[in-house]
Amino acid sequence: MLAAIAIAAFTLSLAPKGSLGSRWLLIALAGASVFWVWRQPAGERRDNVLPALAVLLSALGLVTIARLSVDLAHRQVLWLGLSLALVIALGETLDRFRRYATYKYIWVLASIVLFVLLALFGQEVNGAKLWIRIGPVQYEPVELIKLFIVFFMAAYLAETGDVIAAAKPWSLRANARYLGPLFLGWGASTAILVLQHDLGMAALLLGTFAAMLYVATRRIDLIVAGGAIFAAVALWAVHHYPYVATRVAVWRNPFADPLGHGYQTLQGLFALAGGGLFGAGYGLGHPSYIPDAPTDYILAAWAEDFGALGACVLLAAFALVVRRSFLAAERQPDLYAKLLLCGLAATLAFQVCIIVGGVLGAFPLTGITLPFFSYGGSSLVANFLLVSLVWAVGAERRHVARAIEQTERGTT
Amino acid sequence: MGINRAIDRLWVAFALFFLALALRDVWIQTIAAPAIANNPHNPRWLLVARNRGTIVARDGTVLAESTPRGRVYPYGTVFSHAVGYASARYGTSGLERAFDAELAAPMASLDPREQLAGLLAGGRRAEPHGQEVITTLDPATQNTLFSALSQYPRAAGVVLDPRSGDVLALASVPAFDPEHIDTEFSSLLSDPATPLLDRATDGLYPPGSTFKIFTAAAALDSGTVVPSDQFVDNGALQVGSFVVEDNEGEATGVEDLTGAFALSSNVDFAQIALKLGTARWFEYADRFALARSMEFTLPTAIDHLPARNSVTPSILAQLAFGQADLAVTPLRMALVVSTIAAGGVEPRPTLVRGVRAATGYVARVPPGSLATPIGADTASEVRNLMIAVVRRGTGTAAALANVQVAGKTGTATNPAGRSHAWFVAFAPADAPRVAVAIVVENAGYGGVVAAPIARRVLGTALERYRS
Repeated sequence: MLAAIAIAAFTLSLAPKGSLGSRWLLIALAGASVFWVWRQPAGERRDNVLPALAVLLSALGLVTIARLSVDLAHRQVLWLGLSLALVIALGETLDRFRRYATYKYIWVLASIVLFVLLALFGQEVNGAKLWIRIGPVQYEPVELIKLFIVFFMAAYLAETGDVIAAAKPWSLRANARYLGPLFLGWGASTAILVLQHDLGMAALLLGTFAAMLYVATRRIDLIVAGGAIFAAVALWAVHHYPYVATRVAVWRNPFADPLGHGYQTLQGLFALAGGGLFGAGYGLGHPSYIPDAPTDYILAAWAEDFGALGACVLLAAFALVVRRSFLAAERQPDLYAKLLLCGLAATLAFQVCIIVGGVLGAFPLTGITLPFFSYGGSSLVANFLLVSLVWAVGAERRHVARAIEQTERGTT
Repeated sequence: MGINRAIDRLWVAFALFFLALALRDVWIQTIAAPAIANNPHNPRWLLVARNRGTIVARDGTVLAESTPRGRVYPYGTVFSHAVGYASARYGTSGLERAFDAELAAPMASLDPREQLAGLLAGGRRAEPHGQEVITTLDPATQNTLFSALSQYPRAAGVVLDPRSGDVLALASVPAFDPEHIDTEFSSLLSDPATPLLDRATDGLYPPGSTFKIFTAAAALDSGTVVPSDQFVDNGALQVGSFVVEDNEGEATGVEDLTGAFALSSNVDFAQIALKLGTARWFEYADRFALARSMEFTLPTAIDHLPARNSVTPSILAQLAFGQADLAVTPLRMALVVSTIAAGGVEPRPTLVRGVRAATGYVARVPPGSLATPIGADTASEVRNLMIAVVRRGTGTAAALANVQVAGKTGTATNPAGRSHAWFVAFAPADAPRVAVAIVVENAGYGGVVAAPIARRVLGTALERYRS
C-alpha cells in the first residue's frame, strides 16, 4: 500500500500546478487510503494489493484527467475522497457481508427502486435517462445496480447452483424452475438498460451473468445458449435501432464518416497513433480533440501520453486486480463467497474489456467508464465499493485457513 | 469439475482477452500508427500548421511566419507572388508551395528510439518546427519594384544578380494579400485581371524591341554583322507581303549598328534578321535555352517560339524585333539581359539561398549557369549598344546620375490593346551587379513607361546590394 501511495504521489506530482487542488487534500487522501487498509480486523489475512491497486489506478486516472480538464480533476479529487470515506465508513458492514446473503431479494428490490427513481426523476442526457440529480450531485444508479445484481445472483446461485448443475440440459422443467427466476430478473434489468440505450452496461451485465452461471454450474450449454440469445438480440438491435446500426457501421469502418458518426472513434485512433510505443510524454500529446476524453476515451488520452507501453501497464494492473480477486475466490470455503468474488471480478474485468475493446475498435463502442481511471463519481464510488468488498470478503480467516491446510494435509 | 477449476478457466479466458487487447493496442500504436496519423482528418495537422517554418529575405527580414493566430505575412501584398500563400483550404503557392516539404512541421516522431531519447531528456520535447527558408529576395528592392509597378493596373518585373542568378525582387501586379486568401480566394479567382497569376514567371508577352538584344547578339556572335556596318532605314521595308515599319512611322535614316539599336530601328533589324537566316536564328534561340524549362523555384511558363517550318522571311523579319509568333516571360528577358551583363553566360535563376533546420543551416548548392549562348566579346559589343540606348537613344529615362546603365526599350504591339511597355537593363554597365526586366501591360512606350520604373528599381538595388 505504501509503495502504491509512493508511486501515486510521484505521478500526481507530474500534474500541472493547481490542477488537483490543495496539496493537503491529496495528503489527506493518502492518509485515508492508509487508514482504510490499516483498519482491518485482526485474525484475518487480506490481500492488500487490491486496495493498493485501486488507489494507484485512481491516481493515474486523476493525473490523466488533470491534463485534460482542471475542473474535472478537482471534482474527481472530491469523489475520490467520498469513495474512501464511504469504504472506511462501511468497513464493518462490508466485513460482515456474508450475513446479507440471506436477504438476497433486498438487492432486487433496491435495483427496482433505483430504476423507478431513475424513471421518475432521471435527468435526460442525449436521449437517455441515466442520471439522478440530488442537489449539486449527479449520480448514475446503474453503477450500483450492477453491484446489486451481482449480490443477488451470488446468493441465488449459491443455493441453486448445484441443482442447476445437476439438471440435464434437455430437462425443461428442472431448468425452467431454477433458471427461470434468474433469467427473468436479469432479463428485465438488461431490457431496461437496452431501452435506456445503455448498451455498455447491458453487455456488462450479460457477461457477468454468464461468468457467474458458468462458475456456479460449469454448464457450457447454458453459456452457449446465452451467447446465442445475445447474438440474436444484438442482430435484432442492429436492424431495429438506427443508433446501434450506426455504432456497428463506425466500428466496421471508422474512416467512412470522419466528421460525423466516426468522429469520436477516429479522434481516439488519432490519439493512439500519436502516442507510439513510448508515448508523447505526459501532457505532450493532444488528446483533448477526443469528445468525452476524460470518461469513455480516457484510455486513448493515457495512451497518447504514455504510449503502447503505458496502455499495457494499465491493462496489466487491471489483470492483476482480476487475478487477485479470482485467487481470493478460490481460497474461500463457501460457494456464496466464491460466487460473489467471481461475480465482482468478472464485472470489473468485463467493464475493462468492453470499454478498452471499444476504444481500440475490437468491437463496437459502447460508452462505459474505465474503472477507477475514468472521470465519474458514480463509477468511482461503485468500483471502490467493489474492490473493498473483494478485499473484505476475500479475506482468509486464520482458523479457516488452518482448517483448510489440515484437510489438504490429510487428503494428500 | 471442481469449482476452482472453473474459476481458473474463467481467469484464463480473461487473461487471453486482456492479452489480445494489449496486442491490439500495441499494433494500433506502432505498426498501424503512421497510416492512421497521416489521415488528413487528424487534427494534429493543425499543430503542424501552427509550427510551419519561417520564410525570410536575404537579410533575415521575415516575409512569412506562423503565429498562434495563423500564418502572417508582414509585407502584405508586396511579396505575394514570390512568397505565395499557405491556406488549409486552398493549399499553397509560390515559395510556400515550392518549399512546402521543408516548411511543414513534421508530426511528432513515432520512432521509438527518438521517443525514448526525448523522454530521457527530461520528458519535455519541443514541438517539431518546420525549417526556415532563406530567400535571395531583398525587401527594399522588392518594395521599390512593387510600388513602381503598382502605378499601373497590370505589370510585372524581375530583378536579379546577373552573376549568380539570385532573384532580388520579383513582382506581379495586381497582387493579393496572402493573409486573407481564405476569404478572398473566390473573388481573386474570378477577377478578370487575374491577380493570382504570377506575370513575372508565368506571363507570356511578345518581347518587342527588347528582343533586339537577342538579334544583335546572334548576328554579332555569328559574324553576320560587325558593329561598324551601316544600315539604311527609310521608314518602311517590304518583306514579302508584310511591310516593316518603325513606331509612329519615323525613319532613322543611315545608322551604324549602335545607332540602329539605340534608336530601335525595326527596318534595320529586319534586314539583320534576314541576313542572319532562320537556321541561325533557331540555333541562337536554342543556345539561349529559349522555350526550355529553367527549373526555377516557381512555376514558369515555357516561352513560345514559332514553328520552324512556318517561319517565312516576313515572320523572320518580325522576330527580329520580338513580334510575330513569339512570347516570353519577363523572367526570360531578365535572363537574356543578364547574359549580356555576365559576359555571355546565362545564369540559372534561383530564389532560395538556403534552408535552416533545427540541425543547422544547409546552403542550397549554387545552381550553375543555364547556358553560355555567346562569347564574351559579343556580350561586350551588345553592352556598348545598350549603353547607347540609355545615353542617347530610346531609354534615356533609365539613366542614373552616378552609375552607367545599359538597357533596351520595347514597345510590343499585341491584340489586347495598347502596346506593352518593356524595359530591360543592367548596371553598372562596366561591372554589372543588378539586372532588371520590366513589363507594363497595354501602357504604351517602353522608354516612357517602363524605363523610369527600371531606373528607380536599379537605384534602390544598387544602393542596397553592393556585394
